[in-house]
Amino acid sequence: MEHSPEETKITIDGKPVPFEPGDTIIRAAWRQGIEIPHYCWHPGLSVAANCRMCLVHIKSGRQMEMPILKWNAKKKAFLPETKPKLQPACQIEAQAGMEIDTAGPDVANARASVQEFLLLNHPVDCPICDQAGECKLQDYWLDHQTSLKRKRTEPVHKPKGVRFGPTIVYDAERCIMCTRCIRVCEELVGDPVLDMRERGNRNEIVLAPGRQLDHRYTLMTEHVCPVGALTSRDFRFKARVWFLKASPTVCPGCATGCNAHADHDPRYGKVYRLRPRDNPQVNQHWMCDDGMMTYISAHEGRMYGGLIGRGDEREGCSPTESIRQAAARFSAVESSRIAVVLSALRSSEDNFAAVRFAETLGTSKLYVNARPDWVGDDILRSADQNPNRAGVTHAAGREIDRNLNDLMRDVAAKEIEAVLLLGSASTEFAQQLSALGELEAIVNLASNESAFTTVASVVIPTVSWLEDFGTFRNRDGLDQQFRRAVPAPPGVQPAWKAIATLAAEMGRELGFSNIKGLRALLNESTSSVSAQSSDSAAAAGATV
Amino acid sequence: MEPIDDLLDEEEGALELHTDPMRLNMGPSHPAMHGTIRMVLDLEGETVLNVDIQPGYLHRGFEKSCERGTWNQVFPYADRLNYVSPMLNNVGFALAVEKLCELQVPERGQYYRVILGELSRICDHFTCNGATAMELGAFTPFLWILKVRDWIWDILEKESGARLTHSFGRVGGMAHPPTEHFIEDVRGVLVEIRKVTIETETMLLKNRIFLDRTQGTGILPKERAIQYGVTGPVARASGLDYDVRRDDPYLVYDRFDFEVPVGEDGDNWDRFMVRMEEIRQSIRIIEQALEQMPGSGPVSVDDPRFLLPAKNEVYDTIEATISHFKLVMEGVKPPPGQVYSHTEGANGELGFFIVSDGSGTPYRVRVRPPCWYNLQACREMIIGDMVADIIPTFGSVNMIGGECDR
Repeated sequence: MEHSPEETKITIDGKPVPFEPGDTIIRAAWRQGIEIPHYCWHPGLSVAANCRMCLVHIKSGRQMEMPILKWNAKKKAFLPETKPKLQPACQIEAQAGMEIDTAGPDVANARASVQEFLLLNHPVDCPICDQAGECKLQDYWLDHQTSLKRKRTEPVHKPKGVRFGPTIVYDAERCIMCTRCIRVCEELVGDPVLDMRERGNRNEIVLAPGRQLDHRYTLMTEHVCPVGALTSRDFRFKARVWFLKASPTVCPGCATGCNAHADHDPRYGKVYRLRPRDNPQVNQHWMCDDGMMTYISAHEGRMYGGLIGRGDEREGCSPTESIRQAAARFSAVESSRIAVVLSALRSSEDNFAAVRFAETLGTSKLYVNARPDWVGDDILRSADQNPNRAGVTHAAGREIDRNLNDLMRDVAAKEIEAVLLLGSASTEFAQQLSALGELEAIVNLASNESAFTTVASVVIPTVSWLEDFGTFRNRDGLDQQFRRAVPAPPGVQPAWKAIATLAAEMGRELGFSNIKGLRALLNESTSSVSAQSSDSAAAAGATV
Repeated sequence: MEPIDDLLDEEEGALELHTDPMRLNMGPSHPAMHGTIRMVLDLEGETVLNVDIQPGYLHRGFEKSCERGTWNQVFPYADRLNYVSPMLNNVGFALAVEKLCELQVPERGQYYRVILGELSRICDHFTCNGATAMELGAFTPFLWILKVRDWIWDILEKESGARLTHSFGRVGGMAHPPTEHFIEDVRGVLVEIRKVTIETETMLLKNRIFLDRTQGTGILPKERAIQYGVTGPVARASGLDYDVRRDDPYLVYDRFDFEVPVGEDGDNWDRFMVRMEEIRQSIRIIEQALEQMPGSGPVSVDDPRFLLPAKNEVYDTIEATISHFKLVMEGVKPPPGQVYSHTEGANGELGFFIVSDGSGTPYRVRVRPPCWYNLQACREMIIGDMVADIIPTFGSVNMIGGECDR
């Protein structure tokens, strides 16, 4: 049925708000960036309507009046009166022409009362709570309550610091029983491991008997927790959130390419956690546990400078010197016998630079290093553990099916004298790669220590994914750009730039001098898949 | 006495007086240059032909610094504007933010602010007049005045914890209520202030040297004072009858009976006398305020969005903890908008123009420092006078580097 624009609008505080059929009031408002205060509602979860924070007054239609007793100061008695019945905005479906009041005294009074009830037994934990600074209880106290405590009795005490599993700790006293975590387990993961027990102020969240909170999305329970009841064991007591700044990034954990915020402390140049960034095209509101932890690998075994030689003769050097050494070693061998190993873990830009490098050298020996498949699921996780396999194909202009096994076979056949290794390889490859240790010119462009850095004769340091601007092409062919969160160590360049410098040292030209030029070349050389940036899609997602 | 030149026989060439204009630097580090300020003088003999006054040596970026803290963190900076009367700056800034927040401080707090502010004003005027006298050779009044100023500071220290930079104001009130014996303490020191005022006047007002040095020197006509935007005692000495306390009353100034002294000639003598009389008027205001001040009640607004809750509440209840957390980590949040608010500082109209974007950090804080406008007029006062007259003239303009350069 066709609707005229007027018919598909509701009015919130006098402002017309469009809605889609089936939208609740709160979702229609959320789409427009209007925040109706709420704890239990989450755009990615079902409606629970148990926090009562989103109560609004629907002024159109039949009015419901509630009988109440109101204190009359003149007569010094409670007299019967009525007040409008408020309704939860998260549960009431938007109807065309609905008039909603979210600012009147009745609504304000209801919110203040709900907020006061929620804080009734809340412990005085802000100074030691990881949620402080991004806690809804704090924000809404200032916005909607602003009164001090009236209750003077001892608060109800409940279990604190309950270990729910390897990743999550639960504090029942801080919990407001919004059931978001229960719904995440049930609706997102399909593993109803959490539930609620008891009633009233004895409520608490419990694990299913004999179980732990150990599915692959446990950190999402912490992510949706509007208060500090669930805390991540990884992030607990590591940083205070008001010192952290968020940068948009993309998870390098698998081919899905979930959008994330990298929360970093600019004072230390360190990332402390990843947080899902809403993108309806890719990950909606979620990320898996392994993805959330990918930031750790960027800080582990960081390469701060170049390395020359192997084993006991290995010496550190400046990044510039390592590039010079690599150029000298490559120049000593016939250029067609140089192999270039691309990486499905590095950005399209880095891979494209490596492909151009191979082209200018006139070698056709391209290989690709990728992580083996892991366990995928039909929620977010791809079986392909590599964030940019499609990007490598895009950068090379064709599918490259030769992997590290093929490389080692060709090395054994004496077809290869020198290798440029891009990125990192996991340690299980160390044994397999040992034959490379015989060759004189094995150059690795690495941000972190790996099996590659062990066998390389020259290691050129590069920036890590958190220190770089770049693109991952995910399994759906969506090009997603990520931005730098923390600064690179001094003198350390992006891999594409290091490759360009290396080529220049060898007297060759790759045809670009900055990332803009590189991207222009990359997109004109291979236009098989139409690239679309997800930046605009990410901006469309509102905060929860 | 005849001029010496007439006695000379020029033809004989026995004595030649060299009368080419001479350029002389005074300051920036000179004992008589209050604060750090430089004057480039063009002299003919001892007469000042021209002067270039160069402030700016004490620029600390006050206004920019305000843009990176919370609103309450501006108070220590405000202290360091006119550091001779920091309490007046504290209150002036607090009133500006309160105007933006539409806050009304409880009556007791308003009286408290008036009393502390007037004590500060007395300190300021005492310091200015005492220093002027000292620089003209009268050291004794200066020492007597400083003795009483120390006693005033004892009270301010007792109330705020600091003698000089109190940081005592808060958006929505004062940091602490008055101490137990506040009223008696103030009454006690008022007696001493009166005494030393009379003593000072006895020493100076019939002193020929002092009269010669101050009367008819450093004249600022009323018209020029208006054109330059001069305010405060300097403007009033020139005959401009303007005092923010009376003409646009703030706090509870409309409830007091006091006079605004106005001079006639705009010379150093008038400025000295206006300040002496203002000290007497301040004493009158304080006495009335002590009389009218409610004996009990809060001095700050009772709103946990603005004032930190009591510490025992913070330790025991979550609501107060959240309030404390929000106020410390994010700060007081005035609604978006801009206001100009002015008060009568010790040197004239002290204005704050503030802009808020609704966050806990000031978007812009602009100060109208009275000294800056008064200093502009200083050039005209000096030109034509003798070098030695610069000292009392510059002294009575009472330029304060911290406020002028900001």
